[in-house]
Amino acid sequence: MTGKKFKIILSLLVLVIIGLVVSFLYYNKPHANIEKSKSDYSLTANQLIKEYKEQGIEAEKKYSERIIQVQGQIHKISTLKGNSVITLQSSDSESSVICHMLPEENANVLKLKNGQEIMVKGKCTGFLLDVIMVRCILVE
Amino acid sequence: MKEIYIIIINLLVLNCVSAQGKFLTKDGYVSFFSHSVVEDIKADNNQVLSIVDSDTGEIAIQLLMRSFMFKKALMQEHFNENYVESYKYPKATFSGKIMKFNELDELKGETEIVGTLNVHGRDKEISTKVNVEINEDEIILKGDFYVEVADFDIKIPAIVENNIAKTIKVNFELRHKPYK
Repeated sequence: MTGKKFKIILSLLVLVIIGLVVSFLYYNKPHANIEKSKSDYSLTANQLIKEYKEQGIEAEKKYSERIIQVQGQIHKISTLKGNSVITLQSSDSESSVICHMLPEENANVLKLKNGQEIMVKGKCTGFLLDVIMVRCILVE
Repeated sequence: MKEIYIIIINLLVLNCVSAQGKFLTKDGYVSFFSHSVVEDIKADNNQVLSIVDSDTGEIAIQLLMRSFMFKKALMQEHFNENYVESYKYPKATFSGKIMKFNELDELKGETEIVGTLNVHGRDKEISTKVNVEINEDEIILKGDFYVEVADFDIKIPAIVENNIAKTIKVNFELRHKPYK
């Protein structure tokens, strides 16, 4: 095998390996880190609910699938399959913002009380009777 | 779509008239599972809204497609953006009836649930077995059924055709509480 041929084969091989590694990493990329991600919007529970109720599809485009920060008063704290669920109430609507917390927030949620004002950051998935947020964390 | 809203609104409005009879959950569970030679794919949704009228056995279910959580972020992205087009069809709905519901009173039993499933904007009549458990303050529905991807006009690119099953198994567990 000549030196030139060897170099071509070697560089092709390197390219293939790089390609495989890149596609493997891309395929296995992790879920967005909520804590480190910048939130796209920061608003009150009242505002968020109002927009979903009044603007429907516009709010859907704006907030769904985004990482947002929502401020509101705790109406209820419950647990679901070992994770905390915090319901933020709205002062002028039957609807609320339901925040499904990440498991690492369990200890912090225990310190919270109904009626307390808090800020939650997480991924908004949309609106049914309430705005739904998943993978949430508490923000100081 | 419209019918579902009407049913849900009706259920909520009727509820004010007869205080008893409506049972609701906002954190019901629905998952789906795809098995193929290449890989198994599972996604869980723990934010399912479901309302049961215990007088008639009528049921209305809604869920957000974006609430389905996958193990791999990329799969979740492809699912929402390319396959089910969540930006166009954010919800999946089911409206139907739990058959012979009143005969199951205060019992554990198996019956049939019949109704219309809407995914990706397409309707499909569904009939499946359901396990019903009725307690004083809870109605639990559990079961599973199979759906064909093709029935909902969901297009899977040829390159991943072997990764995704043609028939998907759907599991559900809905624990309804009395609606106050």
